[in-house]
Amino acid sequence: MPKKIKVKKRGNELGLQIFIIFTKLFGLKGAYSLLYLVSIHYLLFDKVAVKGALAYTERRFKNETFFKKHWRVYQLFINQGKALIDRYAAASGYKGFTFQIKGFDSVKEIVNQNKKGCILVTSHVGNWQVALSCLQELKKDIYLLMRPEDNAAVKKHLKIYSEGEKVKIISLEQDFGGTLEIIEKINNGDVVSIMGDRKYNFPYLDVDFMGDKAGLPLGAFLIAATLECPIIVLLTAKLGHKKYCVDFNNIILPKYENKLNKKQQLKKYMQKYANVLNNYVESYPYQCFLFEDVWNKH
Amino acid sequence: MCEENKELTEMREKLKVLLVDHLSLEDIKPEDIKDDEILFGEGLGLDSLDAVEIVVLLQRNFGLEVKDMNKGREIFYSIDTLAKYVVDNIKDNAD
Repeated sequence: MPKKIKVKKRGNELGLQIFIIFTKLFGLKGAYSLLYLVSIHYLLFDKVAVKGALAYTERRFKNETFFKKHWRVYQLFINQGKALIDRYAAASGYKGFTFQIKGFDSVKEIVNQNKKGCILVTSHVGNWQVALSCLQELKKDIYLLMRPEDNAAVKKHLKIYSEGEKVKIISLEQDFGGTLEIIEKINNGDVVSIMGDRKYNFPYLDVDFMGDKAGLPLGAFLIAATLECPIIVLLTAKLGHKKYCVDFNNIILPKYENKLNKKQQLKKYMQKYANVLNNYVESYPYQCFLFEDVWNKH
Repeated sequence: MCEENKELTEMREKLKVLLVDHLSLEDIKPEDIKDDEILFGEGLGLDSLDAVEIVVLLQRNFGLEVKDMNKGREIFYSIDTLAKYVVDNIKDNAD
Protein backbone atom coordinates (compact mmCIF):
# COMPACT_ATOMS: atom_id res chain seq x y z
CA MET A 1 0.00 0.00 0.00
CA PRO A 2 2.82 2.54 0.67
CA LYS A 3 3.44 4.69 -2.40
CA LYS A 4 6.95 5.30 -3.69
CA ILE A 5 7.03 8.84 -5.02
CA LYS A 6 9.26 9.29 -8.03
CA VAL A 7 11.36 12.44 -7.95
CA LYS A 8 14.36 13.16 -10.17
CA LYS A 9 17.65 13.19 -8.24
CA ARG A 10 19.66 16.40 -8.52
CA GLY A 11 23.08 17.14 -7.04
CA ASN A 12 25.89 14.69 -6.38
CA GLU A 13 28.66 14.32 -3.82
CA LEU A 14 31.34 16.02 -5.92
CA GLY A 15 29.14 18.95 -6.90
CA LEU A 16 28.02 19.59 -3.34
CA GLN A 17 31.59 19.28 -2.05
CA ILE A 18 32.70 21.98 -4.50
CA PHE A 19 29.98 24.30 -3.19
CA ILE A 20 30.96 23.59 0.40
CA ILE A 21 34.65 24.28 -0.30
CA PHE A 22 33.77 27.55 -2.05
CA THR A 23 31.56 28.54 0.90
CA LYS A 24 34.37 27.83 3.36
CA LEU A 25 37.04 29.57 1.28
CA PHE A 26 35.19 32.50 -0.22
CA GLY A 27 32.04 32.85 1.88
CA LEU A 28 28.45 32.73 0.69
CA LYS A 29 28.96 35.16 -2.17
CA GLY A 30 31.85 33.04 -3.46
CA ALA A 31 29.61 29.97 -3.48
CA TYR A 32 26.79 31.93 -5.13
CA SER A 33 29.14 32.79 -8.02
CA LEU A 34 29.25 29.13 -9.04
CA LEU A 35 25.50 29.14 -9.47
CA TYR A 36 25.64 31.25 -12.63
CA LEU A 37 27.37 28.40 -14.49
CA VAL A 38 25.57 25.53 -12.82
CA SER A 39 22.19 27.11 -13.58
CA ILE A 40 23.09 27.29 -17.29
CA HIS A 41 23.67 23.53 -17.15
CA TYR A 42 20.24 22.96 -15.62
CA LEU A 43 18.63 25.37 -18.08
CA LEU A 44 20.08 23.43 -21.02
CA PHE A 45 19.78 19.85 -19.80
CA ASP A 46 17.13 19.52 -17.06
CA LYS A 47 14.02 19.50 -19.19
CA VAL A 48 11.75 18.47 -16.31
CA ALA A 49 12.80 21.39 -14.11
CA VAL A 50 12.64 23.87 -17.02
CA LYS A 51 9.17 22.69 -18.02
CA GLY A 52 7.96 22.96 -14.42
CA ALA A 53 9.48 26.42 -14.02
CA LEU A 54 8.03 27.63 -17.34
CA ALA A 55 4.53 26.66 -16.15
CA TYR A 56 5.06 29.24 -13.42
CA THR A 57 6.90 31.98 -15.34
CA GLU A 58 4.40 31.90 -18.20
CA ARG A 59 1.63 32.71 -15.71
CA ARG A 60 3.57 35.14 -13.57
CA PHE A 61 5.07 37.10 -16.50
CA LYS A 62 2.56 36.80 -19.30
CA ASN A 63 3.20 36.98 -23.07
CA GLU A 64 6.96 37.00 -23.11
CA THR A 65 9.40 35.90 -25.79
CA PHE A 66 11.12 32.51 -25.70
CA PHE A 67 14.38 34.13 -24.58
CA LYS A 68 12.80 36.24 -21.86
CA LYS A 69 10.82 33.30 -20.45
CA HIS A 70 13.96 31.20 -20.22
CA TRP A 71 15.88 34.10 -18.69
CA ARG A 72 13.29 34.14 -15.88
CA VAL A 73 13.75 30.38 -15.38
CA TYR A 74 17.51 30.93 -15.19
CA GLN A 75 16.99 33.55 -12.47
CA LEU A 76 14.78 31.13 -10.55
CA PHE A 77 17.43 28.39 -10.70
CA ILE A 78 20.08 30.80 -9.38
CA ASN A 79 17.85 31.92 -6.54
CA GLN A 80 17.00 28.38 -5.56
CA GLY A 81 20.72 27.61 -5.49
CA LYS A 82 21.24 30.59 -3.18
CA ALA A 83 18.46 29.31 -0.92
CA LEU A 84 20.13 25.89 -0.70
CA ILE A 85 23.53 27.42 0.08
CA ASP A 86 21.93 29.59 2.76
CA ARG A 87 20.21 26.51 4.14
CA TYR A 88 23.54 24.69 4.35
CA ALA A 89 25.25 27.71 5.93
CA ALA A 90 22.50 28.34 8.51
CA ALA A 91 22.37 24.66 9.50
CA SER A 92 26.18 24.55 9.74
CA GLY A 93 26.23 27.40 12.21
CA TYR A 94 27.42 30.26 9.97
CA LYS A 95 26.79 33.49 11.87
CA GLY A 96 25.08 36.62 10.70
CA PHE A 97 21.69 35.39 9.48
CA THR A 98 18.90 37.68 10.59
CA PHE A 99 15.21 36.89 10.60
CA GLN A 100 12.40 39.40 10.57
CA ILE A 101 9.64 37.36 12.19
CA LYS A 102 5.97 38.28 11.78
CA GLY A 103 3.01 36.81 13.64
CA PHE A 104 4.93 34.42 15.88
CA ASP A 105 3.01 35.51 18.99
CA SER A 106 -0.21 34.14 17.44
CA VAL A 107 1.51 30.82 16.81
CA LYS A 108 2.73 30.63 20.40
CA GLU A 109 -0.76 31.48 21.64
CA ILE A 110 -2.39 28.79 19.49
CA VAL A 111 0.13 26.13 20.40
CA ASN A 112 0.12 26.90 24.12
CA GLN A 113 -3.64 27.35 24.50
CA ASN A 114 -4.79 24.34 22.51
CA LYS A 115 -4.43 20.84 23.82
CA LYS A 116 -4.23 19.78 20.22
CA GLY A 117 -1.31 20.73 18.04
CA CYS A 118 -1.55 22.46 14.69
CA ILE A 119 -0.60 22.05 11.06
CA LEU A 120 2.09 24.25 9.61
CA VAL A 121 1.53 24.50 5.87
CA THR A 122 4.76 25.12 4.00
CA SER A 123 5.22 25.81 0.30
CA HIS A 124 7.95 25.68 -2.32
CA VAL A 125 8.57 29.39 -1.99
CA GLY A 126 11.37 31.21 -0.21
CA ASN A 127 13.44 29.06 2.08
CA TRP A 128 11.14 27.39 4.59
CA GLN A 129 13.93 25.22 5.98
CA VAL A 130 15.80 28.23 7.39
CA ALA A 131 12.64 29.16 9.30
CA LEU A 132 12.59 25.89 11.21
CA SER A 133 15.12 27.19 13.68
CA CYS A 134 12.60 29.89 14.68
CA LEU A 135 10.16 27.17 15.72
CA GLN A 136 12.48 25.77 18.37
CA GLU A 137 11.11 28.44 20.70
CA LEU A 138 7.72 26.71 20.75
CA LYS A 139 9.18 23.90 22.87
CA LYS A 140 7.10 21.41 20.91
CA ASP A 141 8.18 18.57 18.69
CA ILE A 142 8.00 19.55 15.04
CA TYR A 143 7.22 16.82 12.52
CA LEU A 144 7.82 17.26 8.80
CA LEU A 145 5.66 15.18 6.50
CA MET A 146 7.96 14.51 3.59
CA ARG A 147 9.30 12.00 1.15
CA PRO A 148 12.48 10.59 2.67
CA GLU A 149 15.49 12.16 0.91
CA ASP A 150 17.03 9.34 -1.07
CA ASN A 151 19.92 11.35 -2.43
CA ALA A 152 22.60 10.57 0.17
CA ALA A 153 24.78 13.53 -0.84
CA VAL A 154 21.93 16.02 -0.48
CA LYS A 155 20.85 14.45 2.82
CA LYS A 156 24.35 14.65 4.26
CA HIS A 157 25.42 18.08 3.12
CA LEU A 158 22.17 20.02 3.25
CA LYS A 159 21.53 18.59 6.71
CA ILE A 160 17.98 17.72 5.85
CA TYR A 161 17.25 16.28 9.30
CA SER A 162 19.55 18.48 11.28
CA GLU A 163 17.40 20.77 13.39
CA GLY A 164 18.15 18.62 16.39
CA GLU A 165 15.83 16.31 18.23
CA LYS A 166 12.92 18.72 17.98
CA VAL A 167 12.47 18.19 14.23
CA LYS A 168 11.45 14.72 13.10
CA ILE A 169 10.27 13.21 9.86
CA ILE A 170 6.97 11.51 9.08
CA SER A 171 7.39 9.63 5.82
CA LEU A 172 4.85 10.15 3.05
CA GLU A 173 5.83 6.76 1.70
CA GLN A 174 4.13 4.63 4.32
CA ASP A 175 0.66 3.19 4.76
CA PHE A 176 -2.10 5.79 4.39
CA GLY A 177 0.51 8.41 3.43
CA GLY A 178 1.52 8.86 7.08
CA THR A 179 -1.94 10.10 8.10
CA LEU A 180 -2.26 7.83 11.15
CA GLU A 181 1.02 9.18 12.52
CA ILE A 182 -0.04 12.77 11.79
CA ILE A 183 -3.27 12.30 13.76
CA GLU A 184 -1.35 10.88 16.72
CA LYS A 185 1.11 13.79 16.76
CA ILE A 186 -1.56 16.48 16.47
CA ASN A 187 -3.59 14.83 19.23
CA ASN A 188 -0.41 14.91 21.34
CA GLY A 189 -0.21 18.69 20.86
CA ASP A 190 2.73 18.68 18.43
CA VAL A 191 3.22 20.67 15.25
CA VAL A 192 3.09 18.84 11.92
CA SER A 193 4.44 20.56 8.83
CA ILE A 194 2.82 19.61 5.53
CA MET A 195 3.62 20.93 2.04
CA GLY A 196 0.53 22.59 0.64
CA ASP A 197 1.42 23.10 -2.99
CA ARG A 198 2.54 19.82 -4.56
CA LYS A 199 -0.02 17.07 -4.91
CA TYR A 200 2.19 14.14 -6.02
CA ASN A 201 -0.36 11.32 -6.36
CA PHE A 202 -2.52 12.39 -3.45
CA PRO A 203 -6.11 13.71 -3.58
CA TYR A 204 -6.42 17.33 -4.66
CA LEU A 205 -8.92 20.05 -5.44
CA ASP A 206 -8.82 22.70 -8.13
CA VAL A 207 -8.49 26.28 -6.94
CA ASP A 208 -7.75 29.58 -8.68
CA PHE A 209 -4.04 30.26 -8.64
CA MET A 210 -2.34 32.88 -10.77
CA GLY A 211 -5.30 33.19 -13.10
CA ASP A 212 -5.77 29.46 -13.82
CA LYS A 213 -7.18 26.40 -12.11
CA ALA A 214 -4.44 24.63 -10.18
CA GLY A 215 -4.66 21.29 -8.41
CA LEU A 216 -3.49 21.65 -4.80
CA PRO A 217 -3.41 18.76 -2.32
CA LEU A 218 -6.25 18.80 0.16
CA GLY A 219 -4.51 16.66 2.80
CA ALA A 220 -3.56 19.38 5.27
CA PHE A 221 -6.99 21.00 5.06
CA LEU A 222 -8.93 17.77 5.43
CA ILE A 223 -6.86 16.70 8.44
CA ALA A 224 -7.29 20.13 10.06
CA ALA A 225 -11.06 20.15 9.50
CA THR A 226 -11.48 16.60 10.76
CA LEU A 227 -9.30 17.04 13.85
CA GLU A 228 -10.53 20.61 14.39
CA CYS A 229 -7.05 22.09 14.58
CA PRO A 230 -5.72 25.31 13.03
CA ILE A 231 -3.52 25.68 9.97
CA ILE A 232 -0.68 28.18 10.08
CA VAL A 233 0.75 29.10 6.70
CA LEU A 234 4.52 29.53 6.91
CA LEU A 235 6.02 31.94 4.41
CA THR A 236 9.66 32.90 4.14
CA ALA A 237 11.36 35.32 1.79
CA LYS A 238 14.93 36.35 1.28
CA LEU A 239 15.10 40.13 1.75
CA GLY A 240 18.81 40.57 1.27
CA HIS A 241 22.18 39.01 2.01
CA LYS A 242 21.69 36.70 5.04
CA LYS A 243 18.42 38.48 5.71
CA TYR A 244 15.09 36.65 5.75
CA CYS A 245 11.49 37.42 6.56
CA VAL A 246 9.47 34.66 8.25
CA ASP A 247 5.73 35.26 8.19
CA PHE A 248 3.27 33.29 10.37
CA ASN A 249 0.44 35.79 10.00
CA ASN A 250 -1.84 33.67 7.82
CA ILE A 251 -3.94 31.39 9.99
CA ILE A 252 -6.73 29.30 8.49
CA LEU A 253 -9.37 27.41 10.48
CA PRO A 254 -10.96 24.82 8.18
CA LYS A 255 -14.38 23.69 9.37
CA TYR A 256 -17.11 21.48 7.96
CA GLU A 257 -20.57 23.05 7.84
CA ASN A 258 -22.30 19.67 7.48
CA LYS A 259 -21.61 16.09 6.45
CA LEU A 260 -22.46 16.57 2.79
CA ASN A 261 -19.67 16.59 0.24
CA LYS A 262 -17.01 17.35 2.81
CA LYS A 263 -14.07 17.56 0.42
CA GLN A 264 -15.77 20.29 -1.62
CA GLN A 265 -16.39 22.24 1.59
CA LEU A 266 -12.64 22.57 1.99
CA LYS A 267 -12.34 24.45 -1.27
CA LYS A 268 -12.87 27.90 0.24
CA TYR A 269 -10.10 27.33 2.79
CA MET A 270 -7.74 26.05 0.11
CA GLN A 271 -8.61 29.10 -1.97
CA LYS A 272 -7.53 31.28 0.96
CA TYR A 273 -4.18 29.51 0.94
CA ALA A 274 -3.87 29.87 -2.84
CA ASN A 275 -4.59 33.61 -2.44
CA VAL A 276 -1.81 33.87 0.14
CA LEU A 277 0.58 32.20 -2.33
CA ASN A 278 -0.68 34.44 -5.10
CA ASN A 279 0.15 37.54 -3.07
CA TYR A 280 3.55 36.07 -2.24
CA VAL A 281 4.57 35.53 -5.87
CA GLU A 282 3.39 39.03 -6.69
CA SER A 283 5.83 40.36 -4.09
CA TYR A 284 8.67 37.87 -4.60
CA PRO A 285 8.46 36.61 -8.20
CA TYR A 286 11.90 35.00 -8.16
CA GLN A 287 11.38 33.01 -4.98
CA CYS A 288 8.78 30.56 -6.23
CA PHE A 289 10.54 27.18 -6.51
CA LEU A 290 7.50 25.06 -7.23
CA PHE A 291 9.04 23.65 -10.44
CA GLU A 292 5.94 21.62 -11.13
CA ASP A 293 3.06 22.26 -13.46
CA VAL A 294 0.31 22.27 -10.84
CA TRP A 295 -2.04 23.64 -13.49
CA ASN A 296 -1.72 20.50 -15.59
CA LYS A 297 -4.44 17.99 -14.78
CA HIS A 298 -2.51 14.93 -15.97
CA MET B 1 -21.16 -17.62 20.44
CA CYS B 2 -24.45 -16.64 18.90
CA GLU B 3 -24.46 -13.44 20.94
CA GLU B 4 -20.96 -12.61 19.63
CA ASN B 5 -22.04 -13.12 16.03
CA LYS B 6 -25.02 -10.87 16.59
CA GLU B 7 -22.77 -8.20 18.06
CA LEU B 8 -20.42 -8.40 15.08
CA THR B 9 -23.26 -8.27 12.59
CA GLU B 10 -24.72 -5.22 14.29
CA MET B 11 -21.32 -3.54 14.38
CA ARG B 12 -20.77 -4.18 10.66
CA GLU B 13 -24.09 -2.53 9.85
CA LYS B 14 -23.36 0.38 12.17
CA LEU B 15 -19.92 0.92 10.62
CA LYS B 16 -21.31 0.82 7.09
CA VAL B 17 -23.80 3.56 8.01
CA LEU B 18 -21.05 5.63 9.66
CA LEU B 19 -18.70 5.26 6.68
CA VAL B 20 -21.33 6.29 4.15
CA ASP B 21 -22.36 9.16 6.40
CA HIS B 22 -18.90 10.53 7.21
CA LEU B 23 -16.99 9.82 4.01
CA SER B 24 -19.53 11.40 1.66
CA LEU B 25 -19.53 8.23 -0.44
CA GLU B 26 -21.50 9.23 -3.50
CA ASP B 27 -24.20 6.88 -4.77
CA ILE B 28 -23.26 4.21 -2.24
CA LYS B 29 -25.72 2.93 0.33
CA PRO B 30 -24.64 1.06 3.48
CA GLU B 31 -26.15 -2.14 2.12
CA ASP B 32 -24.01 -1.87 -1.05
CA ILE B 33 -20.81 -2.42 0.96
CA LYS B 34 -19.89 -6.08 1.26
CA ASP B 35 -18.55 -7.33 4.59
CA ASP B 36 -15.30 -8.59 3.05
CA GLU B 37 -14.86 -5.84 0.44
CA ILE B 38 -11.38 -4.24 0.51
CA LEU B 39 -11.86 -0.69 1.75
CA PHE B 40 -8.74 1.07 0.41
CA GLY B 41 -7.45 1.15 -3.15
CA GLU B 42 -9.27 -1.45 -5.19
CA GLY B 43 -12.65 -2.42 -3.77
CA LEU B 44 -14.45 0.50 -2.18
CA GLY B 45 -11.70 2.86 -3.37
CA LEU B 46 -11.03 4.83 -0.19
CA ASP B 47 -7.84 6.91 -0.06
CA SER B 48 -5.34 7.89 2.63
CA LEU B 49 -7.42 10.90 3.62
CA ASP B 50 -10.47 8.74 4.22
CA ALA B 51 -8.31 6.95 6.79
CA VAL B 52 -8.26 10.22 8.76
CA GLU B 53 -12.07 10.23 8.87
CA ILE B 54 -12.17 6.59 9.95
CA VAL B 55 -9.64 7.13 12.75
CA VAL B 56 -11.60 10.12 14.07
CA LEU B 57 -14.88 8.25 13.66
CA LEU B 58 -13.51 5.38 15.79
CA GLN B 59 -12.30 7.88 18.40
CA ARG B 60 -15.54 9.81 18.63
CA ASN B 61 -18.01 6.93 18.40
CA PHE B 62 -16.19 4.17 20.26
CA GLY B 63 -13.34 5.88 22.16
CA LEU B 64 -10.79 3.81 20.25
CA GLU B 65 -7.41 5.00 18.98
CA VAL B 66 -5.46 3.46 16.14
CA LYS B 67 -1.83 4.49 16.41
CA ASP B 68 0.11 1.56 15.09
CA MET B 69 0.63 1.84 11.33
CA ASN B 70 0.93 -1.92 10.83
CA LYS B 71 -2.18 -2.56 12.86
CA GLY B 72 -3.95 0.12 10.84
CA ARG B 73 -3.35 -1.81 7.64
CA GLU B 74 -4.97 -4.94 9.12
CA ILE B 75 -7.80 -3.12 10.88
CA PHE B 76 -8.80 -1.04 7.86
CA TYR B 77 -8.74 -3.96 5.43
CA SER B 78 -12.51 -4.52 5.28
CA ILE B 79 -15.73 -3.94 7.21
CA ASP B 80 -15.23 -7.40 8.73
CA THR B 81 -11.79 -6.57 10.16
CA LEU B 82 -12.90 -3.12 11.28
CA ALA B 83 -15.98 -4.49 13.09
CA LYS B 84 -13.93 -7.20 14.77
CA TYR B 85 -11.40 -4.62 15.98
CA VAL B 86 -14.13 -2.37 17.41
CA VAL B 87 -16.03 -5.20 19.13
CA ASP B 88 -12.85 -6.71 20.62
CA ASN B 89 -11.49 -3.41 21.85
CA ILE B 90 -14.74 -2.06 23.24
CA LYS B 91 -14.83 -5.28 25.31
CA ASP B 92 -11.19 -4.83 26.35
CA ASN B 93 -11.87 -1.24 27.41
CA ALA B 94 -14.94 -2.33 29.37
CA ASP B 95 -12.92 -5.03 31.16
